[in-house]
Amino acid sequence: MPNSRRQFLSRSASAAAITFSGRLPVPLLAAVEKKKAPVVLVVIELQGGNDGLNTVVPTSSETYRRLRPNTGIAAGNTLSISSDCGFHPQLQGFAELLEQGKLGIVNGVGYDNPNRSHFESMDIWHTCQRSGDRRPEGWLGRWIESAQRPAGDLTALHLGDQQLPLALKSQQRPVPSIRSKEQFRLRAANADQLQQQLLIASETAESTDDLLGFIRSSTSTALQTSQRIQAIGRRSTTATVWPDGNLSRKLQTVSGLIRAGLETSVYYLSLGGFDTHAQQPDVHGRLLRQLGDATAAFMRDLAETEHADRVMLMCFSEFGRRVAENASAGTDHGTAGPVFLIGNQVLAGLHGDLPDLNQLENDDLKYHTDFRQVYADVLENWFQTDSREILSGSWLPSGAIRS
Amino acid sequence: MIRMSELSPLPASEAWMPFRPGIDGDWNVAQAAHLYRRGGFGAPLEQLQQAVDQSPDQAVSGLIEAVEPDTYRSTMATLAHAAAASGDTRSLAAWWLRRIISSPAQAQERLVLFWHGHFATSAEKVTDVSLMLQQNELLRTHAMSGFEPFVQAVSQDPAMLLWLDAAASRKAHPNENYARELMELFCLGEGKYTEQDIREAARCFTGWEVRRKQFRFNRFQHDNGSKTVLGVTGEFGGEDVVQVVLQQSAAAEFLICKLVRYYLRDDIADVVNLCQPLIRQYRDNGLVLKPILKQILNSRLFHSPWCVGYRVRSPIDLAAGLLRCFAGSANTVQLSDQTKEAGQGLFFPPGVQGWDEGRAWINTSTLLGRSNLIAEMLADSATRFSGQSPADYVRDKFSDNAETIVRQIQDLLFSRPIPGSTAAQAVELLHRRTDQSIREALQLLCSIPEFQLC
Repeated sequence: MPNSRRQFLSRSASAAAITFSGRLPVPLLAAVEKKKAPVVLVVIELQGGNDGLNTVVPTSSETYRRLRPNTGIAAGNTLSISSDCGFHPQLQGFAELLEQGKLGIVNGVGYDNPNRSHFESMDIWHTCQRSGDRRPEGWLGRWIESAQRPAGDLTALHLGDQQLPLALKSQQRPVPSIRSKEQFRLRAANADQLQQQLLIASETAESTDDLLGFIRSSTSTALQTSQRIQAIGRRSTTATVWPDGNLSRKLQTVSGLIRAGLETSVYYLSLGGFDTHAQQPDVHGRLLRQLGDATAAFMRDLAETEHADRVMLMCFSEFGRRVAENASAGTDHGTAGPVFLIGNQVLAGLHGDLPDLNQLENDDLKYHTDFRQVYADVLENWFQTDSREILSGSWLPSGAIRS
Repeated sequence: MIRMSELSPLPASEAWMPFRPGIDGDWNVAQAAHLYRRGGFGAPLEQLQQAVDQSPDQAVSGLIEAVEPDTYRSTMATLAHAAAASGDTRSLAAWWLRRIISSPAQAQERLVLFWHGHFATSAEKVTDVSLMLQQNELLRTHAMSGFEPFVQAVSQDPAMLLWLDAAASRKAHPNENYARELMELFCLGEGKYTEQDIREAARCFTGWEVRRKQFRFNRFQHDNGSKTVLGVTGEFGGEDVVQVVLQQSAAAEFLICKLVRYYLRDDIADVVNLCQPLIRQYRDNGLVLKPILKQILNSRLFHSPWCVGYRVRSPIDLAAGLLRCFAGSANTVQLSDQTKEAGQGLFFPPGVQGWDEGRAWINTSTLLGRSNLIAEMLADSATRFSGQSPADYVRDKFSDNAETIVRQIQDLLFSRPIPGSTAAQAVELLHRRTDQSIREALQLLCSIPEFQLC
């Protein structure tokens, strides 16, 4: 992308940010349902609190250099984004995507009264509810319910061995979790027989209660999903060179499922290890390398296919990290951070100002874009859905997705 | 966590009173199986029959007071050191799983697993196997004793210091990780402290280091200044902070509620009120656990139908429980790899918060993993039930009548009734009496939704 365009985008986004007040006054939002082939959102959750300042480095900030003597990244080593910032040197994947006009960076994303507990902050991002509020479902779970796809449809899929992310939790539509396609099948001497027997057992109505009902419906979903995914056949291999690592393997599975014609709209993945309290530089660099290389490979894998325009990735973390580093060459829990959107329909470049390092609150960055504005962008402009009910209020979309 | 929560059918004043056989319910093999599954990891029929010959109170005491004979301990110590020397965490995990399956001190091993989830430390980061072993032994030593000496010991445990980056927290830039988790996850719970408390507590822990695999206090890196933590001010060190934290009234409440959710069921509504009698007693006896555990396992609420069958088996419960009920043994290297695949790797908790327990064990992926774990365990020639192959054991030990076998397995392994259709399929498979059909019957029974609960 030519430099001038990048700068233009950066400037216009900054101008837009000034008017950001968060909530929109009245129904400025178009609730029109455009008819379109079903789109796909791939969420990548960066677990542990990604250090936004070393991801999108504020290269022109004196304060940054002063507060990060051991963990800071020299301006000359960054991959330039604008005259004020650059990517971590290991983020060549992101730099490539930005160059191709496929990567948008929403700066300074957070929320009021930031919570610095991993779990609590993650739950806030997942449900849009504070602790103490009822949290029966997640924001994507609410979308899954509102999308009203036929029963039995695999609207969303979680790839991972951890528990189902709260974001995908819905009251009516259980979302399956799988570790990998290969692992996701029943192994037994007589698997078909066992499959049938277990389906009968999980559909019995004998002595039911809420907990047993939950296990029965999960068992039945597991068996049916496994059958469907195994039936799709072996992943067709493409010429794409995939990097090593778990995230890359998961994205490769997702790409295979998309190309095989699975009509799933949300894939949810995670990459852990961002809680860099000590010896941050090496660990963080390796993680970012994995993130950048895997997402770039994923986009390359789909680039020449009919699916290229219907796939978007979103990368977020529960919080950023403290501006000043600690004594262990690491950083402690902080607040606002960047959210990344990747896809052909993304408005590439920077959206919103870089957080001001000279205007801190309790030594932490002040957010200027609420995370619900990014969600509103995804819901309104990607899923073409009215976001107000899902987000319990009107949020001005962050403006990073072509409407 | 989102879930419906359920009110206890008994008020707090009655819930923790001793279970009265004949009045509160029957004391039989099925009820004794419940006690051994929850208090330990299950027990074979002979042990359950012995327990039924005693009073519930005696059975609970027997379970809690059981100790490992010296010979067993020294064998375990030898194996542990061999595992540590191998430098492979998988060997250490296999060693512990073997101890869980074979130790006569079942209540102790159950608590060690509880504490491993509570003071969750992962070998993902702490790669020195001997330090992970050292922490495991520390959890065993303190499992039932006073909480304050326990937390003091954990705070200076090298594996913990490395895990939460406390090992290099210096005066100029204190590292907040340990201070935060001490309050949030170990002692008080989220919301019972302020961010300022964390920052101040972190200053108290400065200078706590690990040198040559041991804790060392580096006074040159310690911040000697005055700190204010949770409303108390002084020139505190780390030990003082632990004391201050545990003096909070939230401390006893936090731990007892967690313990009750672990041993009874995890969806208890208004758990704080329900637990008040236990919390009071725990405070009064100086945060010593053993008498409280005894009271919990001997209580009317624990033995009530509201509790039996309402706990989700963890992968370790599933694997160890099946083997223990048949006096079994297995290749624990392979088995612990499989429990990890099903979501619970010993020495590999998913993060500082430990395992989420309850419904979190169950998802489409882990359900298939659990069934596959049973299949592979039964197919492996190293798996022995009381020294025999599983098929030989079932043929020898149980009655010839397939219906009776299913009924016996119901009492031994299940807290929920096996559905009629599954029972009929299992009877048909058992009736064929071939090695494969017996294994298929066992895999079927151990894969149905009812088996996921205990």
